Amino acid sequence: MYYKSINFGNEEFHAYPNKSLYWKRLNTLIVSDLHIGKSISYAKNKQFLPPYDTKEILNKIFVSLDKIKPSNLIIVGDLLHDVFSTLSIKDQHYKNLSHYMKNTDFIWIKGNHDKNIQIEGFKNFTNYKIGKFLFTHIPIKTSLFQICGHYHPKVKIVHRGKTIFKTSFVHNKKILILPSFGILTGGLDVHSKQISDVLGKNNLSIYPVGQDKVYKL
Amino acid sequence: MNINKSNPLLLHPLNKWMKKKKWSWFPHQIETFHHVRTGSDVVVFAPTGAGKTLTGFINPIDDLIKLKKFKGLHTLYISPLKSLANDIVRNLEKPIKELDLNISFQVRTGDITPYKKQKQKQKPPNILITTPESLALLNSYENAKEFFHNLKYIIIDEIHTFLDNKRADLLSLNVERLQTFSPNLQRIGLSATLKNKQDAKKWLCRKKPKIIFYENSVLPKIKILESKERIPWSGHMATYSINEIYKEIMKSKLTIIFVNTRAQAEYMFKNLWLINKKKLKIAVHHGSLEKNLRLKVENNLSKGLVDCVVATSSLELGLDYGDVEKIIQVGAPKGINRLLQRVGRSNHNLNTPSKAILVPTNRFEFIEAKAAIEEIKKNNLDKIDLKEGSFDVVAQHIFATACAGQFDINDLYKEIIKAYPYKKLKHNDFKQLINLIQDGGYVLKNYDQFKRIFQLRENKNIYKLVNKRETRKYRMNVGTIIENPMLKIKLGTKTLGNIEEVFIQNLSQGDSFIFAGQVLEFQSMKNNLVQVKRSKSLISKIPSYSGGRMPLSTNLANSVRALLAKSNMRDLYPEQITEWLKRQKNISKIPKKDEYLVEQFPRKKNFYTVIYTFAGWHANQTLGFLLLRGFKEFDYKPLGFVGNDYAIVLWSLKEVKEIKTILNLGLLDKHLDNYLEETSIVKRLFRDNAIISCLIERRLPGMEKTGKQVLFSSDLIYTVLKKNEPDHILLKSSYEDAKKNMIDYDRLREILKKIDKKIILKKLTCISPLAVPIILEINRENLSKKETDEYILEDLENEILKEANVL
Repeated sequence: MYYKSINFGNEEFHAYPNKSLYWKRLNTLIVSDLHIGKSISYAKNKQFLPPYDTKEILNKIFVSLDKIKPSNLIIVGDLLHDVFSTLSIKDQHYKNLSHYMKNTDFIWIKGNHDKNIQIEGFKNFTNYKIGKFLFTHIPIKTSLFQICGHYHPKVKIVHRGKTIFKTSFVHNKKILILPSFGILTGGLDVHSKQISDVLGKNNLSIYPVGQDKVYKL
Repeated sequence: MNINKSNPLLLHPLNKWMKKKKWSWFPHQIETFHHVRTGSDVVVFAPTGAGKTLTGFINPIDDLIKLKKFKGLHTLYISPLKSLANDIVRNLEKPIKELDLNISFQVRTGDITPYKKQKQKQKPPNILITTPESLALLNSYENAKEFFHNLKYIIIDEIHTFLDNKRADLLSLNVERLQTFSPNLQRIGLSATLKNKQDAKKWLCRKKPKIIFYENSVLPKIKILESKERIPWSGHMATYSINEIYKEIMKSKLTIIFVNTRAQAEYMFKNLWLINKKKLKIAVHHGSLEKNLRLKVENNLSKGLVDCVVATSSLELGLDYGDVEKIIQVGAPKGINRLLQRVGRSNHNLNTPSKAILVPTNRFEFIEAKAAIEEIKKNNLDKIDLKEGSFDVVAQHIFATACAGQFDINDLYKEIIKAYPYKKLKHNDFKQLINLIQDGGYVLKNYDQFKRIFQLRENKNIYKLVNKRETRKYRMNVGTIIENPMLKIKLGTKTLGNIEEVFIQNLSQGDSFIFAGQVLEFQSMKNNLVQVKRSKSLISKIPSYSGGRMPLSTNLANSVRALLAKSNMRDLYPEQITEWLKRQKNISKIPKKDEYLVEQFPRKKNFYTVIYTFAGWHANQTLGFLLLRGFKEFDYKPLGFVGNDYAIVLWSLKEVKEIKTILNLGLLDKHLDNYLEETSIVKRLFRDNAIISCLIERRLPGMEKTGKQVLFSSDLIYTVLKKNEPDHILLKSSYEDAKKNMIDYDRLREILKKIDKKIILKKLTCISPLAVPIILEINRENLSKKETDEYILEDLENEILKEANVL
């Protein structure tokens, strides 16, 4: 898989087209906003999205873990869509999870969607510090470099009279936001007020995710 | 019996009123009265001005008077437009009030208040005037059966607009429901003249089916604008003729200028305004304008307070604007029926001919206009092809049925296949649609614990809604019309109308554009509101609206071919057109009626292939994509294509040598799936399908989604579904919709079946005169889709013309 190198806080990260971020020096894989079980939680309200998202998201993770074999997997929040989501995780999925947990630490930073849910084998944190880096779902006031999720950033690209939207990695000097790793999750414009309030308007590095490649704007 | 001799209508309660007005009954009214009275379902074909509305109400009024103080709903009248429904009420009011008949009548559309609606349900009027969507809603209430069980007549007005679309499917299902509620119900259809009258009859009538028609012997007077200016090779804005159009407006008391797109309407309006030295009162009318603005224009039109209205199809139907003296059609007529409908807007009087002037905006359109006039003289109308009903509409209907109470699926299936569009609906597909409403209809994995409808334990054929809250969701989602994501435009606090989100996305702050006839400056976008201010800018963009492209009808296309092939051109066309065609004859060839001319020539390092198919826009787009693939297979290195109603041009790096081997039916069979896959056609239709079938919600209070988000998530659903359950009923449904509507599959198939034996191949050294218009479109596409700056076009045009040696 092709990746794009991102230099953030004087460390090199690899942004993958499957929307995961890899910190090579520490052999750590980072993902965000998987929203596992979104379909089942919508079904509760009689909106019947295809019930294949949990399977697909977990398989996507497993493929990554097989390839990269990281020592740590950090999920920066919203692993699950809500408390119903666990209904969509089947025995086989749990088996696979515990298999991968033998070689990889699963670090689950809680997001606004999955605060009070537990899954066996995951190590739960509200945020997680490694050196001068802080992993958190929503950025907080700190002098550390922060790697977070929550906003599902996407970028609007206008070119030759055409407008397209692409999910993106985006960062400024201090904060990096991952795109959502989920498959039924929408996005928020990187220039929207919500994201601007966090990252500011200028000097953003934006990395739109294409089919098999991550680009840089 | 000879119904003319003994006119039973002379004893009709309305006869007194007719006499007072010094009107006499039309033969088709007498016939209708007779046949409906003797138990027939009828379709009445009559031109505007022949008392069509009254015809529908003759039997209901007669019956209501005889029944004396009939309580409850007796007659239902369905109109395609809300505005038309209001107009019918006004027309019905006159005789009923003047004769002091004891008949109550009311209108019910989305525009009336919930309080009034509630009242209507408790105490229904004798005659209810409504739309297909409101009927669907009425049928979804628990007391629907009581409400309709005494219904005697259903009148469907402008039935020709209800034959070939999803709205028609929805209506057909609801009419069958009414028939179940009230087995004695009789059906009366009212239609403009139609070529395939039998099809309309099959669609509507069940009991002793009968066609009644009245043909107008007075032909409309249609001519093409005689212009002293040069008719452009390409383009759609008719800028060349603006002064002459203005003169025509001045000559008549009241003129409607019909154009084909909303963008053209804005542009035409702006240009007329720029030369409006006599301060004529000119207005603009199209579907995106705010309702109040539209109503104002309609009002002024009926009162004769304006001199001219520039309009799109929004003014095509129904409403009687008695004083309209002249119609000007700017741009290609595209079809005979549509042109007649538009022309019929002038002079609502049967004995004086309607007057219309056609303004072709380019040279091909000139030939098309000429052909249309010829066909109208021969009364050769377009056929409306009935289509098989769409699956998503059945799903919505199933949901509606569940809202009205528990139901037996076998009864429902039997009822549905009585509706003409669903005669061939397979039980298996129906079952899948039941499952779709139940829990999404996923086969490999399902939602056992969260169902919308469920089977009763004691009888597996009976289904029931899980809870009442779901009815609200159905009611928010009813209908088959899905608009593109639109944003409201606000000038100060005033709403001007709706504009496509895509257009706004391409604007930056400070850009100006034309809307509602004003130049506006884009300021900001917040919460789906586009804030604008008035601008004095001279450079402005024109919003585009993607929907509703009408391709050239097959009928008219054939006529264009025939006309083109005629040798005595000099009598047919003005000199500039004759010159153009003469040069074509010398340099290349003018194809005969059944020939397909293919021209090939080198130009600017590339190799060009132009195919004159006259297949209409949709079919040509599809063919263009298929040919790109075909060319790739032969390694001709194709670079692109452009298609319009008449022709396709492809350009490639290498010479295309085997065109005859590539261009045949095999091309369609081999590459169609790929085509649907690669373009976003099916994906886009999937969104409509998902919304119509209520898989995803349009909008609910408290969760205001922007249109864009709906589009986005339906794309995700499509991708997941395609990967995991490629046989899902909604994918099948979207694919069928694509074949029916977007790619003109049948038409293309017909052409490709016979094309290989009829190709006339011309290898040229340079571009031919006939190819100039389509080559000009390439350059326009490359400039920018939104570019409408005629100056640049003219410049380009000159450059290419010099190259073709025709200046």
